[in-house]
Parts: sequence; structure tokens; C-alpha cells
Amino acid sequence: MSKKYSIFITVLFCLFTFGFGIALIVSPSRDFSEQENRYLAQFKAPTLATIRSGEFMEDFEDYVTDQFPLRDGWIRLKALSERALGKQENNSVYFGTDGQTLFAHFTMISRDELAQRVGFVNKLAGNVDVPVYFSLVPDKSWVLSALLPANAPNVDDNSTIQRARELCEDKVNFIDLTWTLKDTCGNSDPRENDNFYRTDHHWTTMGAYVGYLALMRGMGDSGGIYDYPLTLCSDAFYGTTYSASGAGWIKPDSIYTMVPEGGTRGNITVTGYPEGTPIESTMYHPEKLEVKDKYAYFLGGNQPLCVIKNPDAQGGKLLVIRDSYSDSLAPFLAEEFEEVHLFDLRYNNMSLKQYVADNEIDQVLVLYSANNFNTDKNLFKLGL
Amino acid sequence: MIFSSPYFLFLYFPLVLLLYYISPLKLRNLVLLAVNLIFYGWGEPVYVLIMFLSIAIDYSHGQIVTRCKAKGNDKGARAAVASSVVFNLLLLGFFKYWNFIAGSLAAVGAGFLPVIEKLPLPGGGSIPFTLPIGISFYTFQTMSYTIDVYRGDARCQKNIVTFGTFVTLFPQLIAGPIIKYKDLDEQLEHRDHSFEKFASGVQRFTIGACKKVLLANALGPLWDVYLATPGAQLTTLGAWLGIVAFSLQLYFDFSGYSDMAIGLGRMLGFEFLENFNYPYLSKSASEFWRRWHISLGSWFREYLYFPLGGSRVGKGRMVFNLLVVWAATGIWHGASWNFLIWGLYWFVWIGLEKLFLGKWLDKAPAWLTHIYGVVIAIVGWAIFAVENFSAMGPYLAAMFGFGAGVLDSDFLYYLRNYLPILVIAIVAATPLAAHTWKKLPERARQIVFPVLMLAGLVFTTAYLVDGTYNPFLYFRF
Repeated sequence: MSKKYSIFITVLFCLFTFGFGIALIVSPSRDFSEQENRYLAQFKAPTLATIRSGEFMEDFEDYVTDQFPLRDGWIRLKALSERALGKQENNSVYFGTDGQTLFAHFTMISRDELAQRVGFVNKLAGNVDVPVYFSLVPDKSWVLSALLPANAPNVDDNSTIQRARELCEDKVNFIDLTWTLKDTCGNSDPRENDNFYRTDHHWTTMGAYVGYLALMRGMGDSGGIYDYPLTLCSDAFYGTTYSASGAGWIKPDSIYTMVPEGGTRGNITVTGYPEGTPIESTMYHPEKLEVKDKYAYFLGGNQPLCVIKNPDAQGGKLLVIRDSYSDSLAPFLAEEFEEVHLFDLRYNNMSLKQYVADNEIDQVLVLYSANNFNTDKNLFKLGL
Repeated sequence: MIFSSPYFLFLYFPLVLLLYYISPLKLRNLVLLAVNLIFYGWGEPVYVLIMFLSIAIDYSHGQIVTRCKAKGNDKGARAAVASSVVFNLLLLGFFKYWNFIAGSLAAVGAGFLPVIEKLPLPGGGSIPFTLPIGISFYTFQTMSYTIDVYRGDARCQKNIVTFGTFVTLFPQLIAGPIIKYKDLDEQLEHRDHSFEKFASGVQRFTIGACKKVLLANALGPLWDVYLATPGAQLTTLGAWLGIVAFSLQLYFDFSGYSDMAIGLGRMLGFEFLENFNYPYLSKSASEFWRRWHISLGSWFREYLYFPLGGSRVGKGRMVFNLLVVWAATGIWHGASWNFLIWGLYWFVWIGLEKLFLGKWLDKAPAWLTHIYGVVIAIVGWAIFAVENFSAMGPYLAAMFGFGAGVLDSDFLYYLRNYLPILVIAIVAATPLAAHTWKKLPERARQIVFPVLMLAGLVFTTAYLVDGTYNPFLYFRF
């Protein structure tokens, strides 16, 4: 290498390292990453105590990675490079063979673990005098398994759900949603999926509607069959699976609602408890369509309790032990029941037995996505 | 601190370069000593005290040895060497092997040594009792200093800053190459700094970063899958796929780290010795260890095997010498029984080669000896990587056909997904790219090199910023 050429290489390397280093220091820090849907680490000035404990160094490493100039671009470049190398997944997200559907990686639950969890549901049914229904929503990796990369290791939600059904005692009425969700999901051509978001784990309004019909059948009530039109609320929804994947080439999802012409539903009132105290709320939250987590459009996101009242309905009072899948289901349930109580075990420590008695609940529905049911740490509260 | 991280590459190292090159020549060792200590204290600040202790003890022992020798007091000089060796081994023994020994004794019902979980701090409070990073490397480096001063192979270093710079030199502090003082002695006092040297350092560093980040980190998850697979579900091809991935991951992780160290050293004016030489080309166990972690092998040869008599002794004694060296090599890699077994595994192969197998291998066709060399290394890695005994047996059994069948759908998925990177890694483990590069006309190299370098740095940065998988395999050493 000649001296001139060596200088050129030296300068190139220094420009690259010094350049990004300086850019990191001088560019303003971002609070939140829309792409990843999380708050980013910030610079924290060191103190003697945080240096001694090593906390400063750990925070500093996170800060550098999180605030690195062009972070979203680097992440996207990595995902693209993985795909170019023939990888069918990135950061534990499978790329569907249609090129547009993303699947999260879930791990299998052991038989004993599942038995323990279903045991909590059995215990709830023993504690209360009203009918208890139990249902699990399969993940789209089972519903749309035809779109998974060939041989991709994944859990078989249907077998988990069927095992859960077998573990239910007589007092628990199990409602199976698996095949109805699969059969209505473009079985002949899985690309016609409209029951699940492509970029998110949740079911869509259409999926929730299919679920609603099956649940009503299971609860001995045919349920209203609505032919409300689909209303497009957003065509720019990138869900949680997308956030993890870095797959910037995926098209956004659309969020629809099924509401009557004019958009109103009679006298329905919604009381939310986002901070634990009751506030007047609404079924849909348009302000959430402006932020990253657009699924919170339905009922505004997770909360300990939400009570929906419809004086025109005939179906009595329903208590739903919820996860977020219930939020897009709630508009349908609200047409059917005088009161729908959405109770979240993660944020609510009230005794269910007491709650059922105090609120004169007529029926209880335990509804979880299979993955949440397999992993949630609060299910024991069902039996309290 | 580790090299393959954005804060090192874009903040720490540029700052080091800046401070280093604006300082006058006389102060450069002091600057290096200061930044070395920051580098070392980054992970666990309190352990910087070990560095100070190491510097003080080895520096003073070097002085004592020199003075004794000047007075013709060989006995005193020997005692000082012994004392230095004992100190370094105690340091290593305490931090690395205390809990292993205590736990092993307790397991056979002799639990008189307490298992230590926390170390009390001088000023109150405590820290978790963890292995100080790189302790296996720097204790060996400083041990070699006193021994070499005694042997007359190295001069005594009178300047404590210069000596401290040697002990703490950050490019090779935590993962080698293990540098003997005598190889660095002159460079500590007079280093050439030139653009040519810096540019070749840039080249070497970039190659190392790509090996570590783009190859080793990419293969790691495949090994993790098979390591986590329960023994009863392991298929034969799956077990081989997993351990081949580990063999390549370990090689690119470690040799990438050595390349980065050599490159960083050059950028600061140092020239370190090579540590790897395409180990998977080996045709025998002995050859593998002349190509793998060269600085460790040569350390053990020079300071353990030869003093024991090496091979110039009777057959029985030679076998004993080999046993000692390979047991030590094994346990050096980690405080766990599987590493000892792995060392003994190599003892068996190398012993057999010295006794008779080597002569057969010399006559055997090259393709057969290649297969032999690679396969024994890979099988060795299974002992090395599966630390848990209850898992090691089933893993080895699956590799040799006693698993859950030949293959399953998981294997097909992982093979399909990792085949391109495996092929790239296998080719990169041979000198093919280097040979091709040398054949290119000078002009073409000059044009292609900056493009490749930038591409390497850009992709390395992308994988580091995404940073979901960036383990460091050498924390145990």
C-alpha cells in the first residue's frame, strides 16, 4: 500500500467511526420509536454511585444503541440482508410465504402447565353459581399455517386448544373457535385472510365477528347476524409483530369496524377504568388511530375494567375475563347483552366470586388468545 | 467493554485514537494506560483494583529477580519467580476456580469450602462474585514476564507506566492473543506509527468485525436451537448441523476477535503475533493445535511442556507430560468438568498421534486425513459446548446415530434457512478468499478494497445496532 492510498483508507475509516460518533452526540435524542413501538433509552449523566454499580455503563450502552443515528434504517437494512441471505425469519418473526404476512414465534406449553392453567378455570366454575364459558382464540400461525415457511417450527395451537377442552370439568362450557376461524379465512386461498391482521397478532373486526357468532352459538343464543357495512378506519396500521420483525417492505394493515349506517348504536354507554376510577368512555377511540398502537382504537387499550351498558338488549349481564382480543369483540357483545363487564386479571385484583355476586352477573366468559392463556401469570386469580 | 459494540466502535475507540495521537510520544503509554483502565473497568469498575494489584506485584517481582541475578543470588531469583507464579495462579484460582472446587467438593460430601456468591467491597457494600473478564489471559501474560526476566529472555521493565501499559493493553486484554512480554518489550518503548500500518490495521479490524458480527453472530442462533433441543428429540443430522454451526461460530468469534485485536494494535503502532491459521484445514490433532489459538498453545509449550521435559524424554514420561499439559489446557477454558474432559480428549488424540497414529496419517491420503482432522475437532466441540453432563451424552449419542431418527422437519427448516450462511462460513474458513485476493492485480485491489471495507462496516453496524444477538463467548475464559 502506498502512503497516499493508506491515507485515503485511514481517512475513510475515521470518517465512518468519528462521523457516526459525532452525529450520535449532537443529534437530538428521540423519546419513542414508532417503528419498534417502545420508549428509547436516554442519556443519563453518571454519578459516582451509578458508575460504581455499573448502572451507568449499562444505561450508556442502551443509550448508544437506541439513539444511534438512522437507527430505523440500520434495523431495516439488517432485516433486508437476512432476507437476501435466504432467511425466512428475523428476530423471531417468520416471513409468510405470501411476502406480506408476519408470524410471531411461540413456544409450546407443557401438558402439566396447561392442566394447571385450565384448573384455574375449573376452580372459577366451582366458585360461582352462574354458567361459565371458556374459549381460546388460536393464533394465525395455526389458522394460516399454509402461509408459514415450509417446516417452520411452531406451536400447534389447535392441539393445545383441544387439550384444554379435554381438561375442562363439566361445569365449564368450552366453546371451540378454531375451525370456524379457519374455514372463514379463505381456506382455499389463505391469502384471502381477513380474520387476522398480517402485521399484528390480534384478530380483525371480521375475525372477531366470526368469533362472536361462534360464541353466541356456544352460549345457546343464535346472536344477531349483522350485515352492517365495513367501515375503513385506518389503512396505516403496523402491529406488534411488524415492530419486532424489522421487515420494512411489508404493507400496512387496514382497520375496519362493522357499525350501522350513521355509526351509532342506540343507547350504548361505555364506562372505562383506565386509571382504576370510572370515567365516561366510548367504544372507539379515533385519537388512537394517530399513534403507533392503533389497535387501541377499540375501547382505548388495556384497562382493569370496562363496563358497556345497552338498555335495549335482552341478553342479561355478561362478565368477560379478557385479554386484548376482547376489545374488538366488545362492539358485537354490546348489541346482545344489557351489560358487558370486561375484567382484566392483569390489572384487577378484585375477587371474581365477589364481583359476580355484587354485579348480579348472569354468565361468565373466559376468553383468551391461546398464547396469552399459555403465558399469563395472573390466571390463578380466576380461582380467588 | 467488547469491540463488537456501537459504543466501542463509534465513541470509545475514536476518542482513544484522538487522545493517543494528539499526545506527545512520551505520554502515549500513559494515555494508553488510562484508557486501558477505563476499558477494563467498564464491565466491573471494582475489578480495576485487580489490575493495579497485578501491575504492582509483577512489576516488583521483575525488579527483585533482576537484583538477585545481578548479585548472583540464583536462589533468591528463583524464589521470586516462584512467588510471582504462585500469586498469579492464586489470583486465577480464586476468581475462576474457587466455586468450582467448592461445589465439586460439596458434591462428594466434602463441603468444607464455602461457595462464594458476593464479594464485600472495601468501602462497604458488595458485588456479585463474577469472573473478572480476561483474567485467564492477563495472568498468563504477566506470569511469562517474570519467568522470561529470570531466563534472561526479557529485560526488566523499570518504568511502571510502561509495564502497566503492557499488563492492561486493551486490544488483547480480554480475549488474547496471549502476548509474552518479550514479544512486546521493544514496541512498548519505540513504536512506528505510519499511515501504512494504520491502514493495514483498519483492514484487519474490518475483517475481524465481519467475522465476529456477520458470521459468528449469524450462526449462533442455530447452535442455540440445538443446544436447547431435549436429547430425546435430537436427530442425527440435526445434532451435526448444530455442532457444525457451533464449530464455525466459535472459530469466527474467537479468530474475529483476534483479528480485531491485531488490527486495533496496528492502529496504535503495535504488532501482535498471529493467533489462528485456518484451523479447519488441519490433517491431525497436533496440527489443529498449531493452527488454533496459537498463542495459548505456544504459552503452554514454552512454560509448561518444555520445562517438564517435553518430548525429549522416555515414552512414559512424555505421555505424563502431555497429560499434564492437556488437562491444564482443558481446565483453562472454563471451571467445569466438561472442559477437563475436553482437554483429556485432545490428550488422547495427540498422545496416539505421537505414539503411532501420526506415522499412519503421514501415509494416508490427504482427503482422509482432512476428514479425520475436522471430525475430531468437531466432536471435541460437542464435549466443549454441551457443559451439562446429562445433555452431553444424548448429544454425542445423537451425533453417532443413537438419536430420534435421522432427521425431522425442524432440521429441514434450519438447513434451508442457514445453508447460505453456512456455505459462506465454510468457504471463509479456508484461505480461498485470501488467495483470490492476492491474485487480483494491485489496481483492482485498490478499487475493490475501500468498497468492501465500507460494505463490511455498514453491515456490521446494521447488525450491531439491531443487536438482538451479540454474545461474547470468551467471558468464561
